[in-house]
Amino acid sequence: MPEALQDPEKRKVLLIEDDHVIAEEIVSALDNRGFCVKHVNNGDAGLEAALNDEVDVMIIDRMLPSVDGVGIEGLSIIEKMHQQGIYTPVLVLSALSAVDDRIDGLKAGGDDYLTKPFVVEELLLRLEALLRRPSDTRETRLCVGPLEMDLVERRTWCNGNEITLLPREFRLLTYFMRRPGQVLTRAMLLEDVWQYRFIPRTNLVDVHVGRLRRKIDLPGQESFIQSVRGVGFQLRVSD
Amino acid sequence: MALFAMMGVLLAQFWLIYAHIESVEVERLTKVLKKDADTLSRMPLEHLKYVVSNHIVGDLHILVNRVEVFTSEHKPIVGNMPIWPKNLVVDGKLHFVKVHSENGKSYSLHVLAVQLSCGSFLVLGCGLRFLIEQKLMLQRAMLVSVVPVFLFALFLSILLGYHALSRVKKMHEAIQKIMDGNIHERLPVSARQYDGIEQLANSVNHMLDKLEHLMEDMREVGNNIAHDLRTPLSRLRARLERALVIAEGGDYTASNKVIGQAIGDLDQCLSVITALLRIAELENSRRKEAFEVVCLGDLLNEVYDLYEPIAEMENKQLLKHFEREDIQVLGDKHLLIEMVANLVDNAIKFTPEEGDIILSMRNTRRCAVVTVTDTGIGISPEERQAVLSRFYRSDKSRHVPGCGLGLSLVKAIAFLHDAEITIDSGPKGVGTCFRVTFHKARKISEGGGKIAAS
Repeated sequence: MPEALQDPEKRKVLLIEDDHVIAEEIVSALDNRGFCVKHVNNGDAGLEAALNDEVDVMIIDRMLPSVDGVGIEGLSIIEKMHQQGIYTPVLVLSALSAVDDRIDGLKAGGDDYLTKPFVVEELLLRLEALLRRPSDTRETRLCVGPLEMDLVERRTWCNGNEITLLPREFRLLTYFMRRPGQVLTRAMLLEDVWQYRFIPRTNLVDVHVGRLRRKIDLPGQESFIQSVRGVGFQLRVSD
Repeated sequence: MALFAMMGVLLAQFWLIYAHIESVEVERLTKVLKKDADTLSRMPLEHLKYVVSNHIVGDLHILVNRVEVFTSEHKPIVGNMPIWPKNLVVDGKLHFVKVHSENGKSYSLHVLAVQLSCGSFLVLGCGLRFLIEQKLMLQRAMLVSVVPVFLFALFLSILLGYHALSRVKKMHEAIQKIMDGNIHERLPVSARQYDGIEQLANSVNHMLDKLEHLMEDMREVGNNIAHDLRTPLSRLRARLERALVIAEGGDYTASNKVIGQAIGDLDQCLSVITALLRIAELENSRRKEAFEVVCLGDLLNEVYDLYEPIAEMENKQLLKHFEREDIQVLGDKHLLIEMVANLVDNAIKFTPEEGDIILSMRNTRRCAVVTVTDTGIGISPEERQAVLSRFYRSDKSRHVPGCGLGLSLVKAIAFLHDAEITIDSGPKGVGTCFRVTFHKARKISEGGGKIAAS
């Protein structure tokens, strides 16, 4: 679908994935969310597209077939892109799930790593996160609605009243406040806030988010952090 | 090869014997000649001339072959050595020089020259006839002895070689059987002999034992996977079929609900696979290379912070009791967190409401001990070893969700860190106490002395 990348309004995604069932699923989901998708199903075309097409974000599978039959490692495409000075955000999608594989993926320049099998929603939210990367991480003061944070002094206020947070709670809230309005999945929180590569138990994140809520929320008002059913959480922005 | 070596040894032996005989003989000749020279040089010249002229036809001839009296200008006076031998020095020592006889022939002799009181020289020469004879005898003896010795050696080596070869052949046959799939077969080992081949066979047998054990483990895991995946998969199949039937009836809300449950079953299958892959990844111990010094106190505090809210939510109490917090071990921080988290998670899972879970750490001179104690349902002594193996689920735990792989993951991580896991009853016989013992000192010294042993 070469015309897919024509619409200037839509955000463009390059998908390099050889399994056509998974690819179809991703393409239709992205389509529904209003992305333009270009899908290629082998490594050679993938490399060419990655180097020549202007897209906003890429999804690259790791073990790709190639014309010569040897196969292409998706990570080598990222390396070649970086050699050419192309730093489009890349989400690596792979069935290689070992911790070392993940580290390899991120070391090679992938911006995120999602292992198969995955929930499509998770993929979409991670793409959103890549597209809306917090622009300036050097910021020392965050403000979302009545919530305010000083990252240097590690202090938090709500409507001017100081709230005492434990270090982990502080990091969790920082993560939310850097991404206001964005849906964040449990896996994203575990990976980025706790930096765990294993899933201890499903409701662990919920319990911690619950604690944070109790500390920051105002009595009688709707919570700042809303649960998105079956997916994750979102910091409400209302002003 | 061995035969050539044997021949060499034999030859060297004969050569040594010959050399020894030669040196003894030369010494003896020196003595004889010196003694004769001494006796003769004391005689007046005229008497000497008489003795010498007599000697050349007399008895002494046998030992002292040549004798001559020369003037001080080396002119011959009397005797059977008419020409002064070249290179002969008068120093009272024996010289091996060329001597000419009356008939012009020349041969080599051991010669001794002494100066007489009147200025003339007395020259005595002696051949090595005995030595030559002995050499001949030796050569003959060698030829006679070499052949039987050689044959004997050949016989012996064939015998020994055949014996060794037959053992190798037996081993080869055993290996062939193993390669054909009979993994229980072992190389033949006799208690009678203990040599290199025997040692090798023993090592190979130990290796085979280990391999067989691993294969059995693998087969068991395979069976367990089949069992633990088949159950949710058949449930999944049944659910999907039901969803299909319901959807055909037009009730999409109901069919969607069933499909949702089916996805839940599928997730369970996937989590089993993920956990198995994690364990396999850990058992491949390449990770050890990335070990670093980890502060156990920080690590346990992190797990405590992670689980304390959960325990509270479930109306249980997670307590910590650290003897000191600065205990360090060598390891992978993430894996150790995962291990302790799994133990705490389990403890919380199996502790009834109002129960306590205690996370504690002790430091002894040699090891650091982390314990997770709960007041839960406990594990009976018979089951304690089994719970650490894959997929084992106590009958008591059937109602609690989980894939039965948590503790085998714990075991794999502990094994990677050379730590030991022991299971006891909790205090007063209630609940369970998991104890992880890290052998501290050795680990730290392996770490290149990054930190001083405390």
